[in-house]
Amino acid sequence: MSYADFRLETVAETIPNPFRRVVRFVFEWIPIAIVAGLWELASGTIVSSEILPPPSAVFAVSWELLVSGRLLPHLQVSLYRIGVGLGLSIVVGVALGVGMARVKPIENFFEVFLALIYPVPKAALVPLAILWLGVGTETAILIVFLACLLPIVLNSYNAARNVDRNLIWSARMMGMPAWKLPIKVVVPATIPSILTGIRQAIPIAFIALVSAELIASNRGVGFEILRHGQIGNYTSMFAVLVVISGTAFVAVRGYEWLERRVVTWT
Amino acid sequence: MDVTRTVGLDRNDVIAAAKSIYSLVLLLLLWEFVAQYDMVHSYFLPPLSDVLATFYELTADGTMLEHAYLTFRRAMAGLLLACLLGIVVGVLAARNRIMGWFWDPIIEVGYPVPVIALVPVFMFWFGTGDLSKIMLVAVGCFWPVAINARNATREVDENLVWSARMMGTSDRRLLRRVVVPAAAPGIISGVQIALPIALIVTFVFEMVAGGGGLGHLEIQGVRSFESAQVYASLIAIMIVGFTLDRGLRYLRGRLLVWT
Repeated sequence: MSYADFRLETVAETIPNPFRRVVRFVFEWIPIAIVAGLWELASGTIVSSEILPPPSAVFAVSWELLVSGRLLPHLQVSLYRIGVGLGLSIVVGVALGVGMARVKPIENFFEVFLALIYPVPKAALVPLAILWLGVGTETAILIVFLACLLPIVLNSYNAARNVDRNLIWSARMMGMPAWKLPIKVVVPATIPSILTGIRQAIPIAFIALVSAELIASNRGVGFEILRHGQIGNYTSMFAVLVVISGTAFVAVRGYEWLERRVVTWT
Repeated sequence: MDVTRTVGLDRNDVIAAAKSIYSLVLLLLLWEFVAQYDMVHSYFLPPLSDVLATFYELTADGTMLEHAYLTFRRAMAGLLLACLLGIVVGVLAARNRIMGWFWDPIIEVGYPVPVIALVPVFMFWFGTGDLSKIMLVAVGCFWPVAINARNATREVDENLVWSARMMGTSDRRLLRRVVVPAAAPGIISGVQIALPIALIVTFVFEMVAGGGGLGHLEIQGVRSFESAQVYASLIAIMIVGFTLDRGLRYLRGRLLVWT
């Protein structure tokens, strides 16, 4: 191919070692700079800066919103909803997944419900949640909980099904009573898969949260985006969007980093 | 005389089926009972029979089909647009250095954005009609399609490419006849991941912005205190989700006959 000359490595080799990482980083992220630059140029010339506020202004407002603390209460509410919803879905999901995998009657009882809610986009349950819980935090928590439940149940179910039989036999041989098996053997052997399930659930949790907050809330970051849009404060609308995206990004990356630190035995 | 034998079912099959759905039947009966005797206010839980009656009514007079069609059209148009762009971008990013250099960081930054938060932005840009919904569905579905297409293309066995090239296949033909078919299972997985995103975006957009569709019908039920309509719309949403999921699986089987 004629692109053979265009190689990061060949460029990087001509540069002294300490700078390589910096140069590589800059080189890799140039496309983002290009897009941001084009956006900055287009705003106010090709498109009105009302419709497409320049990134410099958006980031300035994001920074200002964070520093002045005006967004903090909303961010706090949203993080609380995500935390409780995700936490509940981990507790219930792991119990359900492991229980279904190891006990046939439990599987018979719950399988049909999981099969029923599987194809339903959980955001479509927001109106139902409004009927039951009204507009606010409980509705958002319920939606986050339901949305995160399936990936966690599925991952822990599959893992608990495939626990190495030798582990269970060894534990039994050494005289462990049957009721201790799930806690002492099955769940620990399932932990890597459970953590994978949680990682899949985090982005889903953010989607569920914002959906619930857009439709049924008067606080939280999703509501803030909608409110700024409705009063025509478009730069702030984009700024809140940047903050929530940044939070989601940090949550996923932070979790992956933590997972690598904690799960050292795989 | 055993009835089950005449329909070609084993007794064990019937027992297994009964075991797996008895809980649902129990729950539905409990629902009807509890609601019929007003143990729960009908605003929270209208009797199942009322819900089914409303569902039948709305289906019979064509309302449900009309709204389902609106939702279906928006979700599918957006998904199709995302597939066209996403597959092209993904495959090229994996095969071409400049495209890869340009798109990798953009995908990295764009993928984790909770697309649903863009609903107010797209309302502002494109109004509250079909266009804004289709555009946002396309944006939301683009990322998973592009990422899966890129990763699947990267993992195509280089031996296949080398062999084809040895036998004198041109670059363009190589892409169409060797690379894309070899990457197809991964590409279609991306589309399967994108399908629920398409539905979520469509429903939420319809709830926030209106303009018809099942999401609008459902939220309208909440606003006019017609609980039965909320439940009936949910049944329709369930059917739409289930049909699309199955349809895509069927399509996958038909498209990937060689795997």
